[in-house]
Amino acid sequence: MTRDLAAPEAGGRPPAAAEPVLEIRGLRVSYDAPTGRVQAVAGLDLVLRPGDSVGLVGESGSGKSTVALAVMGLLPAGGRVDAGQVRLLGRDLTTLPEHELRAVRWRQAAMVFQKAMSAFSPVHRLADHFVDVWRAHRPERGRRARSLALERARVLLEAVGLRPDALWAYPHTLSGGMLQRALIALALVHQPRLLILDEATTALDVVTQAQVLSEVARLQREFDLTTLVISHDIGVVAALCRRVAVLYAGHLVEEGPVQQVLEAPRHPYTAALVRAFPRLRGPRRRLESIPGTLPDLTRPPQGCVFADRCPRAAGACREGPPPVEHSGGRMVRCRFPLGGDAGA
Amino acid sequence: MWTTLGYLARRCGALLLTLAVVVVLNFVLVRAAPGDPVRILAGMDQPSPEMVEALTRRYGLDQPLAVQFWAYVRSLLQGDLGRSITFERPVSQLIAQTVGPTLLLTLTATLLAFALGVALGTVSGTRPRSRLDALLSLAAYLLYAMPPFWLGMMGMLVFASWLGWLPTSGMYDVRSPQTGLAHWLDVAHHLVLPAATLALVQMPVFYRVTRASVVQVLGDDFVTTLRAAGLRPGTIFRRYVLKNALLPSVTMLGLQLGYVLAGAALVEVVFSWPGMGRLTLNAIYRRDFPLVMGIYLVVSAAVAVGALITDLVYGWLDPRIRYG
Repeated sequence: MTRDLAAPEAGGRPPAAAEPVLEIRGLRVSYDAPTGRVQAVAGLDLVLRPGDSVGLVGESGSGKSTVALAVMGLLPAGGRVDAGQVRLLGRDLTTLPEHELRAVRWRQAAMVFQKAMSAFSPVHRLADHFVDVWRAHRPERGRRARSLALERARVLLEAVGLRPDALWAYPHTLSGGMLQRALIALALVHQPRLLILDEATTALDVVTQAQVLSEVARLQREFDLTTLVISHDIGVVAALCRRVAVLYAGHLVEEGPVQQVLEAPRHPYTAALVRAFPRLRGPRRRLESIPGTLPDLTRPPQGCVFADRCPRAAGACREGPPPVEHSGGRMVRCRFPLGGDAGA
Repeated sequence: MWTTLGYLARRCGALLLTLAVVVVLNFVLVRAAPGDPVRILAGMDQPSPEMVEALTRRYGLDQPLAVQFWAYVRSLLQGDLGRSITFERPVSQLIAQTVGPTLLLTLTATLLAFALGVALGTVSGTRPRSRLDALLSLAAYLLYAMPPFWLGMMGMLVFASWLGWLPTSGMYDVRSPQTGLAHWLDVAHHLVLPAATLALVQMPVFYRVTRASVVQVLGDDFVTTLRAAGLRPGTIFRRYVLKNALLPSVTMLGLQLGYVLAGAALVEVVFSWPGMGRLTLNAIYRRDFPLVMGIYLVVSAAVAVGALITDLVYGWLDPRIRYG
């Protein structure tokens, strides 16, 4: 099956399996705002090795989508990478000129967007999108390009559970779930190494969401994808990812294997996030919201960014940045982490 | 296919109904207006009562309104628009003579305005809030605010009187009439000023609509998808943005085309263009009931047919529109 789905030129994979697909080091991104520059991502480190699936969670405004856009080099006007590196298959994208970035997009890293309903041009058939996206990175032209592109599109649409004749549909005739699948198929046209799913199932109803999630989980294996899943929904991340990274106000506060982090969170923010989601199994619990809001990111606090909302915060938390603790494949950035016994 | 034909049939039915309403309204409105043609024909200088009476009887104006209306409808159904009272000629003949020059002027001007407005709107829309955008927007506002007759007279003053590049008025040189190609070159030469005037005052609408729609479409999510997929910005623009952004401009074009017969009256008068606009004004001044009604009917039909064509073209351009 995998062989059938592979892109025609898929033989040219780099052999070094241990080399990270995506390596983000000290990434800082800021936006222009009327009151000054907003620090959206403040020194992020994240490594995705081949076959990894990492979930990036956090509440609205935590900087999740900014990370995705920075990786694709698609920061909107006013947004800027201030420091750090984004290495995709060893190449730093932050220093690449636009035309070289264009060559990287979709061939090495592709992205599935949240709003599938508007991710296709309303006056073009799906086929037009597939043909043009295919041609953007292939030398063939004319009729031959079209037939090759459509052939690939049919295979991919079937792989995501759509009928190949959906190619001839206009977007408004398809449902949200079908469009989301079509968008995933479009992302796989050039057999990317890295697939970023930015809130890719958030707009779907729970039943459709579950279906699409299981398709994605299958595609991860079949297409040998390394995935970065961005979501505010820890359930989505639990379903798709092996590791999870928790982002708060542009800072990575905790990272580790998904089951360990969600079952025994060490950072107070992760713990609060987990408590804010309902569980299907286990005893009934009251859902808890997290009091307060994100800090003003035009004037980042000196100490821990979560201190103002943290039930465990002490004076020391507000004076300097919290220490980073690594242990057993987990990272936590907190002066007083939970479950001290799991620490050093 | 069949749904389209059914839709077409229903739209044509609605069109006939519209025209029937227009016929009634025209008849009533024209007669409700103060003044009557007999006054004009007989002269203001104390006409003799006998003459007024004779004229009134001759044109059937002594009959009750219902009888007049019935006679009008009966002749309309036979394809007869009646006889002009002041020109002493069939209304259809007068309209046929002037419709050509008017269409030549207004179609040229509207298509020019569309092309120019869409081109400049695209330039502005792709660089919003730039200096060029500000300049073009200002120019468009100025032109939009300018009365067409004034702009026409200024153009005449500069390009005809001072520079002597273009003729001041008329559709061709009456003093040395040409034939064949020379005639058409002469007409084109005469067409430049009035068509440019009309095009410049129509252009801002197309410009504003195109600019707004280009700005909006460029911010649409599908543009981000295609950019993320590594398509060149030029390719995205030509193949995707333009088709989306042109839809509102095409609607505007259709609406404008509805007014091709009636919209150029002032410019026709300023440039002595032998078109329908001038004929309309003359007919109104002289209370020429049959001529006014005939012109209104033809203009209404043009507007209705223009709207129908716009809807059909729009459905062809935008797959979200389906006839049913």
